[in-house]
Amino acid sequence: MDNIIEIKNATYSYTDEGISHIALNNISLSIKKGSFTVILGHNGSGKSTLAKLLNGLNTPSSGDIIVDGMNTRDEEKELEIKRKVGLVFQNPDNQLIASIVEEDVAFGPENLGLEPQKIRECVDEALKSVGMYEFRKSTPHKLSGGQKQRIAIAGIIAMSPDVLVLDEPTAMLDPKGRAEIISTLHFLNKEKNITVVLITHYMEEAENADRVIVMNDGEIINDGKPEDIFQNVKQLKEVGLDVPQTTELLYALKQIGFKVNTKALSIEDTAKEIAKALKL
Amino acid sequence: MLKDITIGQYYEGKSLLHRADPRMKIIWLIALIVLIFLAQNMYALSFAAISVIISLIISRVPLKMYLKNMKTILPILLFTAIINLFYGEGEVLFSIWKISITDGGVYRSVFMALRILLFILISSVLTYTTTPNDLTDAIESLLSPLKFIGLKTAVHTLAMMMTITLRFIPTLIEEAEKIMNAQKARGADLESGGLTKRVKALIPILVPLLISAVRRSYELAAAMECRCYNGGEGKTRMKKMRLSLIDLFLSLACIIIGAGIITLNILF
Amino acid sequence: MSVLEIKSLTHTYTDGSPFINDAVSDVSFSVEKGEIIGIIGHTGSGKSTLVQHLNGLLKPTNGEILFEGENIWQKPKEIRKIRSKVGLVFQYPEYQLFEETVFADIAFGPKNMGLSGDELTRQVEEICRLIGIKEEYYSKSPFDLSGGEKRRVAIAGVMAMKPEVIIFDEPTAGLDPKGREEITEIIKAYRKSTGATVIIISHSMEDMAEIADKILVMNKGKLEMFDKTDKVFGEGSRLKEIGLNVPTVTKVFQKLNEMGIDVEKDVFTVSKAVEILTELKGRDNNA
Repeated sequence: MDNIIEIKNATYSYTDEGISHIALNNISLSIKKGSFTVILGHNGSGKSTLAKLLNGLNTPSSGDIIVDGMNTRDEEKELEIKRKVGLVFQNPDNQLIASIVEEDVAFGPENLGLEPQKIRECVDEALKSVGMYEFRKSTPHKLSGGQKQRIAIAGIIAMSPDVLVLDEPTAMLDPKGRAEIISTLHFLNKEKNITVVLITHYMEEAENADRVIVMNDGEIINDGKPEDIFQNVKQLKEVGLDVPQTTELLYALKQIGFKVNTKALSIEDTAKEIAKALKL
Repeated sequence: MLKDITIGQYYEGKSLLHRADPRMKIIWLIALIVLIFLAQNMYALSFAAISVIISLIISRVPLKMYLKNMKTILPILLFTAIINLFYGEGEVLFSIWKISITDGGVYRSVFMALRILLFILISSVLTYTTTPNDLTDAIESLLSPLKFIGLKTAVHTLAMMMTITLRFIPTLIEEAEKIMNAQKARGADLESGGLTKRVKALIPILVPLLISAVRRSYELAAAMECRCYNGGEGKTRMKKMRLSLIDLFLSLACIIIGAGIITLNILF
Repeated sequence: MSVLEIKSLTHTYTDGSPFINDAVSDVSFSVEKGEIIGIIGHTGSGKSTLVQHLNGLLKPTNGEILFEGENIWQKPKEIRKIRSKVGLVFQYPEYQLFEETVFADIAFGPKNMGLSGDELTRQVEEICRLIGIKEEYYSKSPFDLSGGEKRRVAIAGVMAMKPEVIIFDEPTAGLDPKGREEITEIIKAYRKSTGATVIIISHSMEDMAEIADKILVMNKGKLEMFDKTDKVFGEGSRLKEIGLNVPTVTKVFQKLNEMGIDVEKDVFTVSKAVEILTELKGRDNNA
């Protein structure tokens, strides 16, 4: 099977003080095994709600979420689904349970009831894969935000998941921490073959993704390769998002008659496009 | 300052005491506290003091870490010493106004202060050589007989609560400081006024702190669920607690200390 | 006269606290009235420690802070007065909200300054109007608002004291692009209406490029650079050396330079970039 997650007509609504809100409106979507997907959307667009549906933390009001052939409504499969689809949240401080790094990372595997020796292996490997092995005996509150978030990721990786879903994992971090997280995610995706679903509102984080999905008001309004998605500068700005500054520059140049390809995203490609246009 | 409070202060090391079974360490701690309490005269207490000093040495934790701990309890220590100075009978050394200090009072003062000092030191040995998680695991394990009377979940929940508390104390202290600074920046006056005014001045700090703690607990609960937490059902441990030769050796030492203190009590 | 003057400010944390390792050593600079200053630097470079001195939350270990020519610690008992003149908005200010209503929370600062009655109401309302907090929000609980709205109310709580200098520690952290833009707008609105001096700490070089007149660069507790925005971003390699970034547009222009195209290296906004490239193209075409 090619798709690890299939979302079929999922709707999620909740009532708050008697008023009913629809957070997700009839969403259908499949996530390919081994892919790196970025979900963009402003706060309140429904992207966080979607994240919580993917591992069965919440179940949809209607429709189904199928993880590797299992329906998240199936209570017997609850733990298996949570193990397969790991969820990382925004604030690393509120995800760490133990006061020693390695003991925290061991929390998941311990809950799964693995043998001590096996837990040790999982923990060491998870810490190595996020580059935090040397900090295994440290205490989390002495680490930087980026380091704490990498520990939170290791805590999920230690359960050997197939999919890693991250809900704005970089929103509270400084640029250095942000870069650490993004490169860790690409490493896990390429080297450990973990499917990544990254929810964010930082456009630059979408640049190297396989696929970008744009959400607004509980619906998917665009879905495609990053360079294609960013062509829709107007649409993105309308839904409270932005484009990378390189796209913004090329887009502005194109409007005044420069012959540039606005699909270039990296600094180097952008400079090349400009150079080409200048020489014409 | 708030941040001077440290709880669950593990000092990394590989000493005998670090490697000993945390369950045994808790039992020894209780035994030693009882023994120190039982020591009735200076000889017995000095013997206990020597045993505590030896424990400090074999813990291989730098002395300055212990001294740092002393600093925070110094007021309690001084208070005990001064209060006890006035109790006790014997030859009057000197008197001021209606108060006289006797040699018995001095003896008592030193004795009580030393006793508290030893309590604190021996407890620090435990917290410095045992990670907070090991400590809670050990408590859970020691309390496990309770599961036979139907308290299994209660024991696990208690241990989980202790782990989380230890983990969040530094986070909440840091947060309290941030909120305090933010309210001060809005002109809040936390330092002056009478008791009522001061208590009232705490509201702008306590309300946000409480709300934040609630929000954190929701997020933590979701995060725990995502990590397959299931109320401790079928949970295993990465670090298995196992009794070893070290524990046997240290238990013997504990017995020797006990015998020594009791003998000295009887002899003098 | 400069509104703020910082003279060889040094602050060392003696207690070896694990939480903040953010000392400042021998920092001197002055800020003129009405300027917008951006402060950039790594986490732990001393930025937060520095700004907490400007309103007297921290006391210098050495050196002094002058506000309108007077040492703010001259009368230590009156240090609270300086806090209404130099407002400080902390990171994630929404976590300091505590009152039952939005109005009462915004009024907390001015009330502490001794305002009451009509005067208090007028000052709070004035700020609310200025930054777009509608009247129907006044009696709402601040805890029922959305993240972006909470942030706006919290910022209003500092602005309501009408500070002459207002400092923001990462005012847009954690917000989405629209939320970021809204916060930038209210900062501009406050400055326009009051003529206040604005100091902003931010990690976003692009935002800084848009808003700041001057940039102050902190590195390991020392002042590394303090100059006009274009000058600072023109020193891309120096910023890179201390591990800081320049705006993406600036990087593109540096790359063009490397490719042998003769353009200025200190371009830092998209509009300026378009202007320069248009001119360059016109010249090439005419040649």
